[in-house]
Amino acid sequence: MSKEIVTFTFLEFGDLVQIKKQLISVISLCKERGLVHSVKWASELAFALDPLPKDELPPSHLVSEEDVQDLDAFALAKSYFDLKEYDRAAYFLRGCHSKKAYFLYMYSRYLSGEKKKDDETVDSLGPLEKGQVRNEALRELRVELSKKHRAGELDGFTLYLYGVVLRKLDLLKEAVEVFVEATHTLPLHWGSWLELCNLVTNIEMLKSLSLPSCWIKDFFMAHIYTELQMIPGALQKYQSLIEAGFSKSTYIISQIAVAYHNIRDIDQALALFNELREQDPYRIENMDTFSNLLYVKSMKPELSYLAHNLVEIDKYRVETCCVIGNYYSLRSQHEKAALYFQRALKLNPRCLGAWTLMGHEYMEMKNTSAAIQAYRHAIEVNKRDYRAWYGLGQTYEILKMPFYCLYYYRKAHQLRPNDSRMLVALGECYEKLSQQVEAKKCYWRAFSVGDVEKMALLKLAKLQEQLTETDEAAQSYIIYIQEIFSCGEQLEHVEVSTALRYLGQYYFKNKLYDEASLCAQRCCDYNDAREEGKALLRQISQVRDQTETPSGELFVSLSDNNTPIKRVSPLNLSSFTP
Amino acid sequence: MMTTSKIALQEKRRLNKLILPLQQGPDLQLGQFLKTVEDCCPQTAFAVKIRLNEMADGELKDMEFFFTTLPNPTFDSEAYKTSVVGLFIRHMLLAYNKLSFSQVYKLYKSLQHYYHVYDAKPVDGQMGVPTFVADDSDMDLTSTEVTIGDKMERELDSPLYASVELNQISRGPLSQKQAEYFLAKQAYLLKNDDNKALRPAKLQEELNNMLKFNPDFAEAHYLNYLNSMRVQDIYISTHSLLHYFDRLILSGSEGKSNGDEGYGRSLRYAALNLASLHCRFGHYQLADLALQEAIRIAQESNDHVCLQHCLSWLYTLEQMKGSDSSVLTEDSVKMAAHFCLPYLASLGIQSLVQQGAVQGKSAHELMDALKDTDILHWKHSLSELIEISLAQTISIWRMYGKSTMAQQQAQLLLNMSSLEPVNFGVTQNNTEAFAVALCHLAELHAEQGLYGGTTEIFKHLKEQFPPHTQHAKLWMLCDLKIQFEKHMNDGKYHLAQPLVPAIRAQNKTEGLYRKAQVLKSLSRTTEAYRILQKLQVHCEKTRCTETIIRVLLSTAELHWESSDFSTGLPLLLQALTLSRKHHLQALASRTLLHLAFTQLMLGVPEQALSVLHEALEPILAHGGIMDKGRALMLAARCQMALVATRHSLTVAIHTLDEAASYFSTLNCKERLRDVRYLQARLHSSLGQTAQRNRCAMLFHLLDRELQTPRAPTDMRL
Repeated sequence: MSKEIVTFTFLEFGDLVQIKKQLISVISLCKERGLVHSVKWASELAFALDPLPKDELPPSHLVSEEDVQDLDAFALAKSYFDLKEYDRAAYFLRGCHSKKAYFLYMYSRYLSGEKKKDDETVDSLGPLEKGQVRNEALRELRVELSKKHRAGELDGFTLYLYGVVLRKLDLLKEAVEVFVEATHTLPLHWGSWLELCNLVTNIEMLKSLSLPSCWIKDFFMAHIYTELQMIPGALQKYQSLIEAGFSKSTYIISQIAVAYHNIRDIDQALALFNELREQDPYRIENMDTFSNLLYVKSMKPELSYLAHNLVEIDKYRVETCCVIGNYYSLRSQHEKAALYFQRALKLNPRCLGAWTLMGHEYMEMKNTSAAIQAYRHAIEVNKRDYRAWYGLGQTYEILKMPFYCLYYYRKAHQLRPNDSRMLVALGECYEKLSQQVEAKKCYWRAFSVGDVEKMALLKLAKLQEQLTETDEAAQSYIIYIQEIFSCGEQLEHVEVSTALRYLGQYYFKNKLYDEASLCAQRCCDYNDAREEGKALLRQISQVRDQTETPSGELFVSLSDNNTPIKRVSPLNLSSFTP
Repeated sequence: MMTTSKIALQEKRRLNKLILPLQQGPDLQLGQFLKTVEDCCPQTAFAVKIRLNEMADGELKDMEFFFTTLPNPTFDSEAYKTSVVGLFIRHMLLAYNKLSFSQVYKLYKSLQHYYHVYDAKPVDGQMGVPTFVADDSDMDLTSTEVTIGDKMERELDSPLYASVELNQISRGPLSQKQAEYFLAKQAYLLKNDDNKALRPAKLQEELNNMLKFNPDFAEAHYLNYLNSMRVQDIYISTHSLLHYFDRLILSGSEGKSNGDEGYGRSLRYAALNLASLHCRFGHYQLADLALQEAIRIAQESNDHVCLQHCLSWLYTLEQMKGSDSSVLTEDSVKMAAHFCLPYLASLGIQSLVQQGAVQGKSAHELMDALKDTDILHWKHSLSELIEISLAQTISIWRMYGKSTMAQQQAQLLLNMSSLEPVNFGVTQNNTEAFAVALCHLAELHAEQGLYGGTTEIFKHLKEQFPPHTQHAKLWMLCDLKIQFEKHMNDGKYHLAQPLVPAIRAQNKTEGLYRKAQVLKSLSRTTEAYRILQKLQVHCEKTRCTETIIRVLLSTAELHWESSDFSTGLPLLLQALTLSRKHHLQALASRTLLHLAFTQLMLGVPEQALSVLHEALEPILAHGGIMDKGRALMLAARCQMALVATRHSLTVAIHTLDEAASYFSTLNCKERLRDVRYLQARLHSSLGQTAQRNRCAMLFHLLDRELQTPRAPTDMRL
């Protein structure tokens, strides 16, 4: 069977019919083996493609002699398997020889061990044993599978299982090798790709892997780019997949939405999530991400609607709990929010987002030690979680330990080199430590990578003002004002007036009275700077009365001096004025 | 119960003595446990085994039966309810009764496992009379095992014991107690003798393993920090340190320390520890920032003790940066005394003494201060500080040039038995104080030409302080210096030259000085002069008196090379004032030697001899063998230059003989050749032909062996 699939995997993208056929056959293969998640993924993709005419449907698989022999036992075992009676299933499969039955046999044993492990955790003999409960079956499985592996008797599915066992035993290097092998033998099984995704930690490692060239590899690449925070690459991949004909796939839409979320493109992400909910109203996956977006945008009614909706669908899901937690958090009921995140963690202790979010809630409640703990847990689950590192940094900043939090911010920055928030935070810390040079570097870098909060330049300018680097400060203020106005939307910044006030004084000192008066006039638009603006205007007119120097000459001389001042600045911004 | 009477009184006593260590000690493997019990009372051990065997090979009900038959300590007189055993049994019963069914089953399973691990490799079970029902004391010992066993699966040979039996298959998580014991032991070993601790890589592996199973185990992070400090890995050590304090902050807020206070405290110490980490890696600016932070938050919360620690780090940091920190140190001492922190106070005094010694404070002040702190140390049993104080005394005596006193103090330190209790069979002997003392000892031996002893000492140092450890640099530099001196004395400049870059890597000033010396010996005078000038300026800036004097002497020697004796005089006088001011007797006598030589060269041998007599006594008493030889030779030459009576010439020959014996111990053939030459001439002028011929032959042999042309004797000291 696997051979058969191998033969028709190396196809070009264009042939959607072939892809569909492959998907259909792999669905039935996975279904027989109880690999529900891969079935779900493949089915979602298949659903997004046009239905095949009747005669085009792939023939049901060839049945080998062994399969026939094991037919009854397999059917019986499968039914037990579906009812989660794994030991029973394994018992009836023990004498079977076909590959299918062997896989199910091993898989039942694995799952049985996992199930027992979960049950054990509930009644362990005390807190000391925490984390020490293990799947006892793993070791035996590994021994058997490695024997077969050496003999080359494993097919794609059993290779996958072998890989999973290795990973659970923390033999990561071997696991990666086996998963790569599994993708070569059976490229269409999404499970192996997904496992590989979790094991690849950096781009160099990804490049070193030799993966089969199959259309599914593009899905994998897109997925792993998202994981490794290489969002532009991921978006590009997904875009090309959509163009190739998967435009209706909810999977791709959700992935793109998550990617946009990761690069803080909130509006795009929101639009996609809304589209997703229209297409798939009972979907619970990724809804926690959606709620994060709604939270950031403070869209209370939408979030409330989403929360209620999800509770109706299934209230005991991690995602639901996270959404409710976010909902309460937005309503500033932080205790309740923390409670729901805790519930989410009870449902799945390895749920990364919930740990981080709980940390945020504790921060809001000023319970710094609990927050630190929550963030540390998040980091334990995933070392690459920049939000947790950032959160830790914030916690220590609140505890007034700017030097101490440098380490955490640096970690976060390392993980997200192009995120301005970490850079601004770093800059602030350096400023508190009076390391102005470093602080300036950070702020400038934050601005260069695209400042989200538009605060970096202002801080830079203020810092330069403190250091009496007047020209540079003026320059920064000018860019700041340009940025604020050019982004169009109304940000809650009162600081424009500060910038204008400074610029007014600056031009005045440099005897550029036209510009100074313009800035002063603008100052008058703002309540807090009105008086000063007027005072400056008065001063200007006084000076002008005294010395009737034509300012034009001054301009010339100044521009000859190559002053860094862009004289275009606030003058031609008039069209943008609020 | 009923069989108690059958146990002899002595055995019973031994068993009773065993109870406490067993209950409070780490978990044991069954084999070891049985062996310990057997040593006390073979009967009981056997009974325990039978009883365990019954349970392990039987069914669940056998274990349940065991628990039901346990004597109820409330009524039983043997195990009174408030006794150690009684309390323990009550605890155990309570814990047992609380278990759910599946937990009981699991307990039984782990008991079985525990037994069968032992059973699989049987320690020859001695055949005895199987008629005992378990008696009381055996029961509680058994139950010790069971209850601890119920906390934990105990399949594994813990690495504590397993270092020998590498049973890889049954490796797994440790119990809390085992883990704590492991950490305590390793930490103790790291502190006292890290050669005996696990290898860094191995320890790291163990810790990772431990943390994988129990990520909340904060202490393991701290040990990880210590371990990575051992291999100078800044990345992991920072990471572990911060992780540890993140964890600690949480446990601190719940722990006994009152609420907020407890957790603020760990914050302060977190910052302080970070400062010390950066300090250790030589990141002074970062350390400074971290320290300031620690000071700020300690001030905000009025934590004087923490502030004192910060202050003592602050002056250490200043000292490391090379600036004068005596005011800070004095403050620190005063405050520490005020807050009753004897450790910090005397640490401060010691560092003041060190600074004072360098700045030339009078000897009695320093010694008085050290004596006062010593009283404090012995009163508070601060054994580490006692060691440091001794090491300081050694260094001070050495600096003053009193080699006998230094040697005596070094022996005192090395032979002193530590005040700290000896755990795990390891006494603390890897502190900096020991390294310093041993280095001094090595140098003292080398000065007397006892190179065999020196080699022995270095062998020991290498074992005790392997090259990757913190204090290894001390002996490395010392070793290089001794080798360098040796080669220079032998006249093998080509061997000394490659050592210079190595010395320079350890200590820049010292390296430069040595470079100048080599260049001088190779007659590359201009270069040597330039370096010496640079060095002098540098040392005057850093106030490194000893080096200044040595540089002055070398510069004077350079002037001699060009027969310019009078120019060297002011330099030598300057050196003399400096060394007298700082009580540096060895250097002072060497300067006098130089002066005497200059005077001899300038043609005033009477003056030279009188100057020389001033120096001769201290040199012969304390000086190195090289100085002794040179002094005697010079004396002989002065005598020769004076009025040549027959008597004085004979005396000169004898003096030369003595010098020759010194030079031959050092195997310094060049100087030996000079001596022989002078002797031959003396004999010749006395008309003793036979002796003259003998000396001339010796001279000839040496000359042939050396092959280098002989420098004019008159031109060197």
